[in-house]
Amino acid sequence: MNGEATSSADGAGGARPTVDPDAVMEALGQVVDPEIGLDIVTLGMVYGVEVDDGVVTVTFTLTTPGCPMEGPITQGVVAVVSALPGVRDVVANRVWDPPWNPGMIRR
Amino acid sequence: MRSGGARSSTSDTAGAGAGAGAVGGVATAGAPPFRLPGIHFAAAVCFLVAGSVGLVLVSPALASGAFLTPRVVAVTHLFTLGWITTSIMGALYQFLPVALGVAVRSERVAYGTFAVYAPGVAVFVGAMGGAHVDAMLVGAVAVAAGLLLFVGNLTATLARAAHRDVTWWALTLADVFLFLTLLLGLLLAGNLRWGYIGAKRVIGVGTHLHIALVGWVLMVIVGVAHRLLPMFLLSHGADERAGRAAVALLGTGVTALAALHHTHLAARKWLPAALILAGLAAFLAQARSFYRHRRKPVLDAGLKLAAGGLTLLGLAALLSVPVLVRGIGSPHLAATYVLLLILAISLFVAAHYYKIVPFLVWYHRFSSLIGRAEMPQVADLYSGRWAAGAGVLLLAGTLGLTASVAGGWAAGARAAALVFAAGTAVEAVQMAGLARRRP
Repeated sequence: MNGEATSSADGAGGARPTVDPDAVMEALGQVVDPEIGLDIVTLGMVYGVEVDDGVVTVTFTLTTPGCPMEGPITQGVVAVVSALPGVRDVVANRVWDPPWNPGMIRR
Repeated sequence: MRSGGARSSTSDTAGAGAGAGAVGGVATAGAPPFRLPGIHFAAAVCFLVAGSVGLVLVSPALASGAFLTPRVVAVTHLFTLGWITTSIMGALYQFLPVALGVAVRSERVAYGTFAVYAPGVAVFVGAMGGAHVDAMLVGAVAVAAGLLLFVGNLTATLARAAHRDVTWWALTLADVFLFLTLLLGLLLAGNLRWGYIGAKRVIGVGTHLHIALVGWVLMVIVGVAHRLLPMFLLSHGADERAGRAAVALLGTGVTALAALHHTHLAARKWLPAALILAGLAAFLAQARSFYRHRRKPVLDAGLKLAAGGLTLLGLAALLSVPVLVRGIGSPHLAATYVLLLILAISLFVAAHYYKIVPFLVWYHRFSSLIGRAEMPQVADLYSGRWAAGAGVLLLAGTLGLTASVAGGWAAGARAAALVFAAGTAVEAVQMAGLARRRP
């Protein structure tokens, strides 16, 4: 997945790879809800990925407000996206609208 | 490969939940430390094992229809106060932030509650079983102190919740009915020493039992299941009107029971019973709807055992009708009904240990590794095969025991109680193993 990133010059003058949103989605596939046993991309919880000059904003939701998995999943999102080349900042943007439902699961 | 300069931040759009925690932390806002629910679950499982051993000992008495002997009442309280209520206390400390968005008002009071309550239950049931009335009263005072602390803490917590949905109403009513249960229980305990109730004692015992099991325990189950079953079954979006009706009907029914039980009105038995049975039917219909609308095709051992417990709860409800007609004039029937009611609830609670405890262990011991390392799923933390075996033993033991008590077969009752005890032993060993799991 890291190989999909391309390089570009960053503001500091050094070479910084460009972040591919598809690579971000692929990385997010490593974040698994341990109770359900599926990753958050398959579960349809990732609503969007935006990349702007190395800043990656991941918009995602959880199964229900107050979900106890919020901390671990947010941490997982940040961990896997930060590991991609070219990423200098990760914004984990957790939203409740639209609310998640099991019909969003991608099979 | 990590990009050396990557920073991170979180945001919380729409703000409906507890809010995103600081990156790197694993705790959802308000989640208590592992120790708080952990000590409750450990004590509750000990009470369950003790209760199941007690059940083996008293099973011949039950089969003879003697369900108000001191030893039988002591074993009953090992299940109701020791196993079920201690489990509910621990589970609520974990559940309240998830369901209502508020942490328990005071963790210090919660620890203090446990310190008074758990030893109090042990003294209370031990003394009751041995017919040591004064020691039993000491235990009763400790249990009462613990329950008062718990009720106060829960009341203060519920008052802080911004969102007042069906779960909030169920827990609020359960809180009130727990207080009523305590008052009646203290009256009954004092009666054993000073004997002021007289011939109405049996009515008092029946009222105390039903306010406890329906008003407190079942009401908590209805409220908690309303949130947890859709989460566990992935059945979000099912029609939830039956759950709301269940809370209203059960609440009205138990209120009617509390208000009318000491009167001579003709409706004092049937009105509360009709309301409670309608409420239970509504709850079972709601639970069935959640199971039917599930997106999880394969049920794990915990969810299967929960379904078994709910089915037995329905059977207990059916059995309540002839008990209402005949009263304690038919002691085998009354003993069978009470036994089935308590064991059905016990199985539902035991089932949730296979959902809650593995999650807690995963959450507190493994979750910091998410996205960083290969890690187990929650269900990988215990043997599903052994869990299924425990479920079969618990269900078979319950069915065998109730059938033997109904038929007045002492040897069969003892054999079935041994099967039930074996099931509790397997579950206890699994929970102990889970508590030791680490990455």
